[in-house]
Parts: sequence; structure tokens; C-alpha cells
Amino acid sequence: MSQAATIALLGQPNSGKSTLFNALTGMRQHVGNWPGKTVEKKEGSFVHGGKTYNVADLPGSYSLSANSDEEVITRDFIASGKADVVCILADSSQLQRSLFMLADYAGIDAPCFLLLNMADVAQDQGKEIDAKAIEKKLGIPVIPFSATDTKSYEEFYTTLENALTQQGKVNVSDLQKKYEEIQGYQEICKLIPKEAVPGYSPMWLAVKVLEGDPVVSNQLEHILGKDVFSKIQTIKAASKGALATGGCKFAWIDDVLSGAVKEEKKTKGLSKLDKIFTSKVWGKPVVVLTILLGLIASFIPALPVMLVGDGVLALKAPVMAGLSAVHCPEFLILIVGDVIIQSFSYIFKMLGFVWGVTLVFGLLEEVGVMARISYVFDNTMGKIGLQGKSVMPFLISFGCTMGGAAGSRVIDNWGQKVLTIALAWAVPCGATWATIPMLSTIFFGPWAVVVIAAILGTMILHMWLTAKVFGRHLVKAEDRYGMIMELPPYHKPKWGALLRYVFGRTKETFFRVTKVVLLVCGIFWLLSYSPSGQGGVLQTIGTAIEPVTKIVGMPWQLFLSYIASGVGKEGSIGVISALYTGGSLGAAFNEAMAGAGPAANLSQILLANVTKPQALAFIFAMTFNMPCVVALAATYQETHSAKWTFRIVLYYTALSLILAFLAYHVGLLIW
Amino acid sequence: MEELLDLLKDGHARTIEGLAMELHTDTDDVARKLEFLEMQGIIKKVISSANGCNGCSGCAGGAAAHAGASTHAGECSCGGGASTCKGCMPEGGFQNMGQMWEVVV
Repeated sequence: MSQAATIALLGQPNSGKSTLFNALTGMRQHVGNWPGKTVEKKEGSFVHGGKTYNVADLPGSYSLSANSDEEVITRDFIASGKADVVCILADSSQLQRSLFMLADYAGIDAPCFLLLNMADVAQDQGKEIDAKAIEKKLGIPVIPFSATDTKSYEEFYTTLENALTQQGKVNVSDLQKKYEEIQGYQEICKLIPKEAVPGYSPMWLAVKVLEGDPVVSNQLEHILGKDVFSKIQTIKAASKGALATGGCKFAWIDDVLSGAVKEEKKTKGLSKLDKIFTSKVWGKPVVVLTILLGLIASFIPALPVMLVGDGVLALKAPVMAGLSAVHCPEFLILIVGDVIIQSFSYIFKMLGFVWGVTLVFGLLEEVGVMARISYVFDNTMGKIGLQGKSVMPFLISFGCTMGGAAGSRVIDNWGQKVLTIALAWAVPCGATWATIPMLSTIFFGPWAVVVIAAILGTMILHMWLTAKVFGRHLVKAEDRYGMIMELPPYHKPKWGALLRYVFGRTKETFFRVTKVVLLVCGIFWLLSYSPSGQGGVLQTIGTAIEPVTKIVGMPWQLFLSYIASGVGKEGSIGVISALYTGGSLGAAFNEAMAGAGPAANLSQILLANVTKPQALAFIFAMTFNMPCVVALAATYQETHSAKWTFRIVLYYTALSLILAFLAYHVGLLIW
Repeated sequence: MEELLDLLKDGHARTIEGLAMELHTDTDDVARKLEFLEMQGIIKKVISSANGCNGCSGCAGGAAAHAGASTHAGECSCGGGASTCKGCMPEGGFQNMGQMWEVVV
């Protein structure tokens, strides 16, 4: 051979092509671009035994289908005949998988040889590979190889010379027999002449047509004419396409490796803990228990942050006194004390929830438990058009709806994310759970348990209904397919990264909610402010709309309290207390937000002024009302849709009033 | 391959180990077929760390992650950068959720 021979290196990514290329060419290489493409072109040369060899490092790709520029460039270069021999690299440590490139190559009219690279890794895995047996089946030179081991290269050079001399091509007879079992393959093959596209056999072209390869299809349409190609398309439409051809390739690979690879099959089974998590019987109870324990544990790190809120509140009196001492206008003093300081106190208390929940559930994610939780709940979530990942925002919402809305961030599909948030709103938050038992006990005594059970039942129905109402717009039927999960191994948490994340999330939440809470609480306070300390604009409006509010079973005092619960559930009891005891609405609201207890004799006052049906109506209205303004802000932040945020608010407001109406009339029937 | 796809289309979540048991094969075989189905665009990897920032102050510029926008692992959707702020997710994203695929076709 007088001229320099050209070798093309072909292989999947990480097959060791670049290592081989660098080892062969050393400094004699140059990098450019393939003509008209942004794909990197690496070429080089080396001299061995007095002969010069040019090397082309073809772009790494999974297969030779026209899914990308890399794949088209690769196969066109090979079929063009520019390479005297193609050196195909496969990863010996995973031959089952990496021989797919060879299977896809089979049928291209170019001589080649196969390097079973990373033979040392395969050996370490306990695999014994009989390269000669594989060579016999393939009809091309095959050698075990290790691109990182210089001792491997002598055999490489010898095999290269043999391949150049023999010009051997892959024996495709067994593969072809498998293809012949595919519906339509033989008919398509018959319609493609031998030299239709130089460099490619009719078998290869027919398979690519079946796989829907656009480049091959265009070429054949151009060469064979529209009539013939139309017949091919009709045959193809009735076939199973790439699934069938892929199956044939894998089956052929298995045949090639059969008897040539000996290894101890280590069945990767499930660990004992995973057997429990994935058990149909124990999976859900164990996961629910894990989550409940997680929620309880969240309060431990949350408490110190919540104490900061108390610390902020302690500043209120001295600050107001100080402002008063410097003769600051009373209105301004009240704004600073009742709105700004009060709001910051409230914000820190909410941050406690966010901090605690993020830390505990971040830890569960770090150790690998979250993946199991998602897996266990995926099927249940699938029934309402969601994925297993959606269960986390729901669970977090038991503590804080805002945290639940923010937790929906891990959901990729936008529609599923919005639906998850919409459903998370139906989950009563920690503040609601602090309110419901107290009110229920005042009005219903031991029957409070039944009321709470009814609330939980209504929550499930609410979520089901909400999924039906919003699901059809947000989640398409095709988004509801199954999911495959690779359960990650359990491992120790990386505390540094976890704490940076938790601090970062808490800081972000702080800045985000501060803007909203200050604005909304300020407006609410202004509307409820009265220099005389009695009512204000809200009271005037409340008495005016009472004829309407009574339809849903709430006198104006309870209705205003219901409105306050939309700002924050903590506020509702304080507002009731103020309205029925004659105190200042604005002050009572802010005190309630800050955790102050209701009036001492509230029980007697409420029992004297509110009937049981009215109380039941209020409990349902308040529970299923919009969670709070912070949750509203988080919903907008996560969905980036004012339209959907508004729809969810409207839906919840309407449904909470309908539920109040129903509860009121059920109450009238009972009492 | 068709058997595998049929199992995936029934709407139930499965582990690779579970799929291998149901198909009477090994996890390596399931893994290579999943890779093939992914390359064909029949299934797609679920990126737990996707969506990155939705406009927080830590990620400058933020509002790009809009309806249905999907980004790739480790990328911040807001500025086209290669990382998210610490408030969005842990460094490098949620890496311990395991690899997940969903059927898209």
C-alpha cells in the first residue's frame, strides 16, 4: 500500500475513542469543523512499521440513525469510502449495550474490525470474553483491548494490518434473518435496488426506512421516485418501526455474545428496606409513617426561628413608646407597630415552618428516602393525572401551604405543577389545624371529632373534584403514562450542601413574602382601622352585605372573619373575638396573627351569639378558603400565571362558600 | 421491546428491578432497552432539578421559566446559566431522587 491508509474510529460516547485517537496520533492531530457543520472534526496521523496512517475520530453517537448532525456525518463519512477501514470500539464492561453501534453499522459497505475496549475493566468485573468466538460469528477481526494500556497496542497494529488486508465486513446473515421476521421488511427490501445509495446495503436502507430515518427516506424518495416510495411508506405505516428493528438488533447482539461471554450474573435485587417500601401491603403505611414523623420532626428546627418572631414582637411596645416619645403622629406609630413590626413577627413565624420543613424533607431527599416516597405514591397520584413527586407538596401543605406551593418546583410538567398547587390548597395547613379543634370543641363538645373527620373527608373529595375541574385543562391524557424509577442507593447526607440549600431557600422565602405580607396586611389594617376603635370600613361593609352572607350561614362578623382567614388562618379567631366582644378589629387581627389568644370568655360569647349551624358553616368556609396571602404569592411565583392564580383563588372562594352553605343547611337539619 | 413499552404504558410506576422481574430478564437488559427507547424519543428522562429558578432574587433575571418551559439538569432556566441559586435547589439539583423516565409517546 503506497498511499497512507485512513482509519475511522467509530463508537458510542465513552467507548474510549478519544483515548485511542490521542494515543495513536499524539501531537500529530488537528481539530476543525466538519464542512458546513458545527460538529468538531478531529483528524491526525501516525507512523507504524514505516507506514503512515491517517486517523479520523468520528463524532461519538449512540447509533447511526439521523437523530443529529453527528450521526449523519459519521455514517456519510464511512459510506463515502474515505476510510479504508473502520475501527469500531465497544465497551467490554457492558457489551450487551455497547454493541448496539455495531448492530446499527451492520449493512454498511465498509471493511471494519472490532475493538473490545476496556477489557481490563471487564476482567475486574469477573467477565471472561472469548474474542475469537465473537470474531467467528461476526466475520471481522475482533480483539480485546485497553486504550489506556500501551501493551495492547502491538496487537492493535497487527489487527489493523489484517483488517486492511482482509477487507472483512460484518456477517449480517443472522441479523438479516431476524429482520425478515418484521412485517413489511422484505417487501421494502425488494423495492430497493442493490446500489440505490452507494455504501449502504438494501438491508440497512430498509431498516432505516422502517425506523423513520428522514435522511434515508428523502434519499430513497429522490432515487426511486414518488410512486415506489409511496408504496414503501404504505408498507412502513403498517409496521412496528424502530421498536421491531431495535428488538432484532438486541436479539442479534445476544446471539453474538451467547457462549462468548462468561460472567457471574449478579442479580441486582432490592434491599430489605426497599422490599418494604415497594411492598403493595406495607409500602404506603411505612411511607405515611415516615412522612408524619418528618412533619413532627420539622417543628424542632422550626421552633427557634419562630421564637425570633416573638422577639420581633417584643420590640413593638418599646418602638411604639419611643415613637410616641418623639411626638410621632399616632397613625404612623400604629402603622409601624401594628403593620410593620406585627407583619415581620408573622413572617418569621411562617419562616420557621419553611426552614423546618425544608431541612427535614431536604434531609430525606439527601439520604434517598424521597425517591421511595415518590415511587410509592406514583400510582395513587397517577389516578388524578399527577406523578408521585406531587405527593410531597401535599404533605408539606399540612404544615404550610406556601411550602407546598414552593415544593411543587420539582415537577417538570407545568400543567402538573399548577394542578399540584391547586390541590395542595385543599390541604388544611398547620394554622387551620390550630383553629378547627378549638372552634369545634366550643360548639360541638365531644362531637368535635366527627367535625374534624368530616373536614378530612371533605378534603379528599375536594381534591378529587379539583383534579376533575382543573385536570382536563392542565394535564393532557398523554401526560399520564407510567414512570420508570431507578431507586438510588441510600447514603449519608452532605450536610454542607443541604444547609446551604435550606438557608438559601429560607432567605429567598423571606424576601419574597415580606413584600406581599407588608402590602396585604397594610391594606387590611387600613380597611379595619377606625380612630374610635370600633369597626371601620370593613365593619360598615360587613353590616351592609349581611343579608347576602346569611345565605351561606354566616352573620357579618363570621363573614369578616372568613375574609381575614384568607389573609392568614391565624387571624380568623382574633377577628371573631374582636367583633363579638366589641374590641378593635384591626388590633385583634394583628394580635391573633402574632399568636395571642382569643378573649377569655369567648366561648360563652360565641355560644350566646352564634348557632351551631352557623359555626359549622364558618368552620368549613374558613378551612377551605384561600390558605393565606403568602400561599397566594408563592402560587403566583411558581406558576408565573396571574390567570391561573386568579382562577384558583376564585374557585376556592366559590367552593368554600358553597361548602359553607351545605354545612349550614346540614346543620339546620340536625339542630 | 414491545412488552416493555406495554408495561410502561399502563400508567403504573415501576423500578428497573421490577421491570426485569416482570420481563424475566436482567437489569442490564432493561437498562439498554430504556436507553434505546430514550434515544428514539419514546421515553424521556425526568429532570428533578429542572425549572430551576422561577424568578427569585438569587438567580438574576428570572422570569423565563414559564408555562411548560423545561430545562436540563443543573441549568438555571432564568438566565441560561449553568447553575441555580441556593434557594432554588441543592447544589447540582435534587440528585438523590433516582433516575426517572416517563413515557412520552
